[in-house]
Amino acid sequence: MNRIELDFEACTGCGACFDSCFVNVFRWDDGAGKPVIAYVEDCVECNKCELACPVEAIRVIPDYAGVYWPPVI
Amino acid sequence: MDARNTQDLILAADVLVVGGGIAGLTAAISAKEADPAVSVLVVDKATCGFGGKANKGGGNLAFLEPDDDLDEMLRFRVEKVGSYLEDQELLRDFLSGTYGVLKRIETWGCTVFHDPDGAYVYVRYWEGHPWRMALCEQDITESMLRQAKKLGVKFVDHVSVVDILKDGDRAAGAVGFSIIDGRFYTFKTKAVILANGCQNYKLMRRWASGRGDGIAAAYRAGAEMRNAEFGSFINWVFADTKEVCQGAENVLYNAKGENISKAVRPKIEADLDSKEVVAWYKAMLAGDGPVYANMPENEIAAFSQKAFHSDGVAVRPITTAFWTRTIGKAMAASTKPGPMQEVFPGFIGEQSPVRVDHQMATTVPGLYAVGDIAAAGSAWAGAVPAPPGRMRGGGMMGAMWMAMRGGPAAAGYAATAGEPAVDAAQVEALKARMFAPLGRQGGIEPQEMVRAVQDVLSPVGNTIYKSDARLRDSLERILAIKGQLALLTADDPHHLAACNEVVSMVNSAEMFFVASLERKESRGWQIREDYPERDDAEWLKWVVLKDDGGEMKVWTEDVPIDRYPLKP
Repeated sequence: MNRIELDFEACTGCGACFDSCFVNVFRWDDGAGKPVIAYVEDCVECNKCELACPVEAIRVIPDYAGVYWPPVI
Repeated sequence: MDARNTQDLILAADVLVVGGGIAGLTAAISAKEADPAVSVLVVDKATCGFGGKANKGGGNLAFLEPDDDLDEMLRFRVEKVGSYLEDQELLRDFLSGTYGVLKRIETWGCTVFHDPDGAYVYVRYWEGHPWRMALCEQDITESMLRQAKKLGVKFVDHVSVVDILKDGDRAAGAVGFSIIDGRFYTFKTKAVILANGCQNYKLMRRWASGRGDGIAAAYRAGAEMRNAEFGSFINWVFADTKEVCQGAENVLYNAKGENISKAVRPKIEADLDSKEVVAWYKAMLAGDGPVYANMPENEIAAFSQKAFHSDGVAVRPITTAFWTRTIGKAMAASTKPGPMQEVFPGFIGEQSPVRVDHQMATTVPGLYAVGDIAAAGSAWAGAVPAPPGRMRGGGMMGAMWMAMRGGPAAAGYAATAGEPAVDAAQVEALKARMFAPLGRQGGIEPQEMVRAVQDVLSPVGNTIYKSDARLRDSLERILAIKGQLALLTADDPHHLAACNEVVSMVNSAEMFFVASLERKESRGWQIREDYPERDDAEWLKWVVLKDDGGEMKVWTEDVPIDRYPLKP
């Protein structure tokens, strides 16, 4: 499974990562004003959150070896 | 599980657009441009402006300059690609409209690159051939989002649209739910434009977010489907990272060191084809696997540097940053670096069968479909998976061109159609069905069923190199999964959306196998082991599907070849 590392200290709570995720991995913690990595198992390593973050507080670490692949033959 | 928000919400507009990617945004903008008085609402399962494929692709836009040879391009498409299954009138309209699409999106603030003389920068596979690819930046949908907001288009994010509402035969809106808090949404609208993508079965998972939700909704609403048998696109992937290996199709070598591409692809072609997948399959069955891509010989990989990164042609920092992260991380994780890279065909699908006419109207009045969802169903691309229909750059361009027709057409329909009646009993029945998996005890989780579907579709013998026996066996397995859909369970709205995706995948897979069985010949992307030849006498036909009281009705219709300029 991929990992997403979030530096909560650096995070400014701008919401760019939340908006950029097209598979809804994030939820929003209204109290903290910060993203929650709620469904990391759905991350498809598009890296859009990492690219969107203006302060480089987020990092996607893909797990290529862990990708499920059914038989092809 | 948090309590679901049970405060139902009813939203009204003239036109509802489902899907906030490139097709949906183009449809919304062009609907507003056609008639500013028409109210337009766009809804997306994730975030409008960030979904879909356009902001995760190469930013390549197929086009012809106004003085390019349109007839030559048409002939190339029909003879070499779509194999006479195109709607040639629509294809001609599309090809002649591409230049205008580029001009128009620039007025919306989208970046398309020009040379110092003002002409569009382009890349081309073959010199002397009309087909060109212009280049845009990967933030194209964000530019469109800003333009749409400027025009007064409204947006709803994180709502999964599940079903189309009907008033008699016509569309009357749609229903869905918030994937954040489970709130139930009713959209009461005069017209609906489905723009939520093709079916990708979640296997090549970054490829797109399209899981066929819109296709299944249209099917349940009684819309006809066409060309469903061509929904089995693959791309070559590296065995270690499962990332795409661009250009592998031309440089495949078996374990004995023999080139197996050359016999089926003596020269570079417009895109992948099923024939080299069959060559791979035969090599594997003969015990000559694994198969490798000979990277030093890979001309397309070198070309892709230009077409995808293209710093040498147009400096695109956003696009380049994306590819540097995605491919760069995969390359860094490669466990077997070297010139010979083991590859296999990674199943994608790209089934896009919603049937539309030249105005992008489905067979349900008031229901339109644009972009990936209806690329094959519109028949502009012929007997190939579409988008991009074996023409790189054809996906984004096709989506925008279709949406520039469908948006104004839907706006025109909404301007003259009366208010639809929304039937409360119908809404309640759809609501009950959509929420049924939520909290179901002892059921099957969606991910388990997704894998069961993928297990049927991934083997090349089931979906690329087809035979009656394998197709029947695959259909039986899909129908068995279909029989278990009533056991789906979800513990929250996020997973409830996944349940609807599985239902949609099963629907797409059933359509694929039923249509593939019906077409008893080989043509374009469809290769039948038991019917290896193209049969123009019997099979210049489209396979059409429609729900008939819970049964999948299938029939054929003659391609009106007499009307078209090109004949076999």
